[in-house]
Amino acid sequence: MRPYFEKMAEFGKELKKSQLERAKENIQQVKTVEDGVAEAVDAVKNAGFPTEKINARGQMTVWQRLEYLLDPGTWCPLHTLYNPMDNEIGHTNVVDGLGKISGKWAAIIGFDNKYIAGAWIPGQSENIFRVTDLAKRLHIPLVWLVNCSGVKLDEQEKFYANRRGSGTTFFRHAELEQYGIPVLAGIYGTNPAGGGYQGISPTILFAHKNCNIAVGGGGILSGMSPKGYFDEEGAEQLIDAAKKYKVEPPGSVKIHYDETGFFRYVYEKEEEVLDGLKDYMKDMPSYNPKFFRVAEPKEPKFTDEDLYRLLPMNQKQVYSFDDILARLVDGSENMEFRPDYGPEVYTGLCKMDGFLVGCIGNRQGFLGKGYPEYADYPGIGGKLYRQGLIKLNEFVTLCGRDRVPIIWFQDTSGIDVGDIAEKAELLGLGQSLIYSIQQTDVPMMLVVLRKGTAAAHYIMGGPNANRHNVFTLGTAATEIYVMHGETAAVATYSRRLVKEKEGDRPLDPIIEAMNKLAQEYHDNSRPIYCAKYGLVDEVVPLDTMRKYLKAFAGAVYQNPKSICPQHQMILPRSIKG
Amino acid sequence: MAQEILAPLAGKIFKLQVAVGDQVEEDDEVIIIEAMKMETPVFAPADGTVKEIKVKEGDAVEEDDVLAVIE
Repeated sequence: MRPYFEKMAEFGKELKKSQLERAKENIQQVKTVEDGVAEAVDAVKNAGFPTEKINARGQMTVWQRLEYLLDPGTWCPLHTLYNPMDNEIGHTNVVDGLGKISGKWAAIIGFDNKYIAGAWIPGQSENIFRVTDLAKRLHIPLVWLVNCSGVKLDEQEKFYANRRGSGTTFFRHAELEQYGIPVLAGIYGTNPAGGGYQGISPTILFAHKNCNIAVGGGGILSGMSPKGYFDEEGAEQLIDAAKKYKVEPPGSVKIHYDETGFFRYVYEKEEEVLDGLKDYMKDMPSYNPKFFRVAEPKEPKFTDEDLYRLLPMNQKQVYSFDDILARLVDGSENMEFRPDYGPEVYTGLCKMDGFLVGCIGNRQGFLGKGYPEYADYPGIGGKLYRQGLIKLNEFVTLCGRDRVPIIWFQDTSGIDVGDIAEKAELLGLGQSLIYSIQQTDVPMMLVVLRKGTAAAHYIMGGPNANRHNVFTLGTAATEIYVMHGETAAVATYSRRLVKEKEGDRPLDPIIEAMNKLAQEYHDNSRPIYCAKYGLVDEVVPLDTMRKYLKAFAGAVYQNPKSICPQHQMILPRSIKG
Repeated sequence: MAQEILAPLAGKIFKLQVAVGDQVEEDDEVIIIEAMKMETPVFAPADGTVKEIKVKEGDAVEEDDVLAVIE
């Protein structure tokens, strides 16, 4: 299929002088938000014990272990700011992302041993599910750096039990193994109880000589107080027992290497554990990239610095989505699907690091006279209309048929509304798109370039497409909410305003409440909020975006569950005609 | 040859990006119309000089109203 893919049609325009001039303020606005995100990320990395203190104990921090383990330049961190239960430490006590080890993509996660020795804390299980899901959807190995002291006892009620509690993560490991996805674990430190299952549940265990894994910890001295409460006498007994307690914690290498053989390998040095993982990763199942590449990888024709000029922070300002996409895909080349239909959305085949991907994005601005064809009002990009929804359904379905992964870009204010839109079947076509996505069974990712709003946020491959969306990225300009804050304030309070007016009562309290609600919508939709509560999986600087897109494409094509021979694809033929 | 720049849709003139006498290139932003909560740019249809601007910021315009003339 060389004639189709080796050289596709170039697209995107160079920036004009006037654009360069006008964008100066925008660059500053984007960088200010990106700097704020970087500051928050630094705070997470520096939380807990200082690195020197961990190193003085003869241990590496999780960050040092990751640096040693990963192929340089491949790390794409995810969930760095994720902290849905608002832990004081600012994270969920695990560090994760997508990266290469010995040339193979893996989902990688490690306990942060700088905070209470890597204990389970609130929100952590949800973070872990996102990573086991990442491995499952990409069909790539999961690599754990286990170092887990068990449950943070004073908050256990928030995460220990329940359907999606910390113990559920072990079922997820078993589920991955069910799908033939290996889970490798380097094990360090003391790992009692839940920590023990963190150690035993993976497929192959690489142990440091000082580690242990056990059903329970040695620190549990005598269970419940015999009196049913604690008093001074009981406290004295505990002090005495604790002083005498000098037994080595259960489940050491002596037991689980020499006796049970649970540990497949044991290493003297911390680095050697990581060397063991690296060595094993060489043998993990993967295709040579040439098996799937449709062309040699090449950089876009335009610099990604242009993205800082092209993506406006002003949410009302329109821009060219095609120009943005041309800064992200190989050679700034594409094969656009149905360019003369559904002008509010771009759909097309592009190359990412030489791999074929389907790209979808909302176009912005006035859509031209007579569109949408079913209405007497003008169509504006960012909204979805009948033709756009039909085109999206067709494109997604064909990508599924041809086993082409999809990269979605959202900047959407929603789907057209009103009786005219209902008559045009937009509600049904939106749900049809959900059905189409579900039918594809191909991995997808999403970039929320600017607005992710209303139903359009979920029907356009949002994180709610939970079985398909591998991860979602935010930008400095991202804002996600069901509707704009001012619209929400009107929807909530307009009838109340009428009542107060008719009752001849003062309007000030209602107006104040409206402004408060609008402000809350604003504050609770910004990039850092979205990252903290998992509305996005990471907020990424614009000049780092392509790195994530390449990682996604590379990981998808490493060991896919199914294959469509290039010469049997229909989508490129459908585009060519 | 004079060319009229027409409003592509009804809205309010949000911003004039050029003044009479300015040189413009094809596809330069000339005027921004605010409509349906978005700022829609109107572009120069060809290279030329702005001969006349028929609207001011804040004006309401209808579809196909003449906004400016370039020569």
